[in-house]
Amino acid sequence: MIEALSFLALPALACAALVAIHAYFGLHVLERNVIFVDLALAQVAALGATAAFLLGHPPQGLAAHAYALGFTVAAAALLASTRAWSGRIPQEAQIGVVYVVAAAAALLLVDRAPQGAEHIRQILTGNILTVGWSELAWAIALYAAVGLAYPWIARALKPSGWISEFAFYAAFGVVVTSSVALAGVLLVFAFLIIPAAIGVLHATRFASQLAIAWIAGTAAAFVGLAISYASDLSTGATLVCTYGAALAIAGIARGLRRERRAKFGAALRLGRWLAAALLAASAIWIAISPRADQPLLDSLEHAFPAIRGAYMDAKSLAIGAEAAAYGRRYRDEADKLRAREAERRWKGEPLDEEEVRRIASFEKSYNEMIRGEEFVTREVRSRAREAKRWWIAGAFLLVAAILAVSLPAWRSIPRSAPR
Amino acid sequence: MTIALFLGLEGVVGAEPLRLVSTTTELESLAISVGGELIVATHLIPAGQDAENFQPRPQDLARVREAQAVLRVGVDYDLWLDPLLQQAGNARVRRGGAGYIDASTDIALLDVRAGGVGPDDGHAHGRGNPHYWLDPANAAMITATILEALARLDPPNAKRYEANRLAFLERLDAKMGEWKRALENAPALIAYHDTWPYFARRFRLRFVGIVELRPGVPPSASHLAKLAREGIEARVGAIVREPHEPARDAQFLASRTGARVAVLASSVGAIPEARDYISLIDYDVRALAPSR
Repeated sequence: MIEALSFLALPALACAALVAIHAYFGLHVLERNVIFVDLALAQVAALGATAAFLLGHPPQGLAAHAYALGFTVAAAALLASTRAWSGRIPQEAQIGVVYVVAAAAALLLVDRAPQGAEHIRQILTGNILTVGWSELAWAIALYAAVGLAYPWIARALKPSGWISEFAFYAAFGVVVTSSVALAGVLLVFAFLIIPAAIGVLHATRFASQLAIAWIAGTAAAFVGLAISYASDLSTGATLVCTYGAALAIAGIARGLRRERRAKFGAALRLGRWLAAALLAASAIWIAISPRADQPLLDSLEHAFPAIRGAYMDAKSLAIGAEAAAYGRRYRDEADKLRAREAERRWKGEPLDEEEVRRIASFEKSYNEMIRGEEFVTREVRSRAREAKRWWIAGAFLLVAAILAVSLPAWRSIPRSAPR
Repeated sequence: MTIALFLGLEGVVGAEPLRLVSTTTELESLAISVGGELIVATHLIPAGQDAENFQPRPQDLARVREAQAVLRVGVDYDLWLDPLLQQAGNARVRRGGAGYIDASTDIALLDVRAGGVGPDDGHAHGRGNPHYWLDPANAAMITATILEALARLDPPNAKRYEANRLAFLERLDAKMGEWKRALENAPALIAYHDTWPYFARRFRLRFVGIVELRPGVPPSASHLAKLAREGIEARVGAIVREPHEPARDAQFLASRTGARVAVLASSVGAIPEARDYISLIDYDVRALAPSR
């Protein structure tokens, strides 16, 4: 527990700081309908840093940051100027053009580089898990400065004039350049759009939208970090998926809150009919092609392995179980063999080439045997499904019929009750 | 048939040097140590670029088309070469042709995992770990494979190729003793990516763990925590990363385990000091050797 906290404290703080500034800009981005502007500006910043690298500056030095910033500000000026065309060409299309041209130009620059430059963008892309205290402190100071200065400047400027547009893109570009280096492109996009979207779903006033976005964004980030730790999953990707789930929950919550009960009942009915349709389609599919992938049956079996007992006889079940056990044993043996070889690289007598070759050939044959056992498991199951396909299809159809038909009867109970 | 054969051999028998194209810079360097001035060697992947995700350019097609020999790493490391060979339509260097050289022939591979076994194997490469050139003893095998091919393509110069290779092996042997002594008391290590099993085996180095278990998938928090714990227990001396791998992740583990970060190159030209094969290994050994 203490170890987990010591590893997650800084990432959690970083998430909170990133949500604080990105939810604010995210609301503006949603309002302006320039959803992918952060990707375009991040790409332009990467182009600037690549140019700096080619001119002989170290990839994370001051000069690289200055070049990245300069390129971003230039792109901000460009986007502010071309907003006037947005009647003819949507702003989102212009942003797309900036993105692809910046990405392609970086590629061409890299092709001219002496060495190692193609990875520069990777180096410039951060990982929230390994964020350092000093860079986080810098980022928080920057976010605080932009977060306090930008609203004040925006209020002083004429809305929708060139200067106010430029101020928006430049302020946002500065933030995104720093945050992509901290957390990576995917995560920054999630921080930007999803909390803001949740805020817009549940409130109409800017201040309440922002408050909801901050609370929901920070809470989802903490949940995502905890899941990443507990389930041993890549942190950035887990956070993005948690944010997706948070938005889905927020959407359902809105439905529950806003819609009348009658509409909720209608939604429930629709859900049951969809489930019935899915079951009927699966029934037809298994009747036509029992050996093909059966998504519904496969996922049911994955969740409840006991279902297999319903259509496989004891003998096939035993064959399948035995094959699975052998597969596990071979996998275990291969792992042990590999571990022994790896240990002998540094401990005890070194293995000679002949022994290494022998181990490799054992590993290969174990791998083949594992595949053989997997084939047996699949084959036994396919045969059982083929033999019992009408039974399985019938069971699916029965459940589908119950779902579809029982609905009116179920609904008639409250209707007949006295009001 | 005889005429075609004669015409085909003409370019080789004449005074013109034999044109060899290798996929990587380190194989190019090994080919030059065998071919010397009798061959003109070029490589396709620019130094320091990611070999597995390389995208050939139009001129690469011309290079392969004009080549008399093509030298590849194999072990699914440079799979993009196969469509290029198909497209170039140069029968000499196609799979099975006289000029097709797979340097992994006769190498004893480590960490063999068949493709399609499932998602739970650590490295995405189908058949064994492909970084076998990082064991200098394997350089003897690779140059033997190259020598065999060059002697087949250019029989009159076979003796000179053999002499070149022997001279190279002598230099390598002299260095090998020096390298082994330098790394005798090297501390335990953690690597960013599973690039070093062959190097580790030759120099008896202990790699406690790998940061990025699956290429392209950043580590989880619990995996990093486990690595940090095991690193402290094993008293890890250095976190090994290559120039193109994220500096921050290595620095993070270094600060947690009290180790330093050592930047190693797996490829000739990835850093300026690695000019050829021997200086590549030389650089890596010096970067790891405990300071006296």
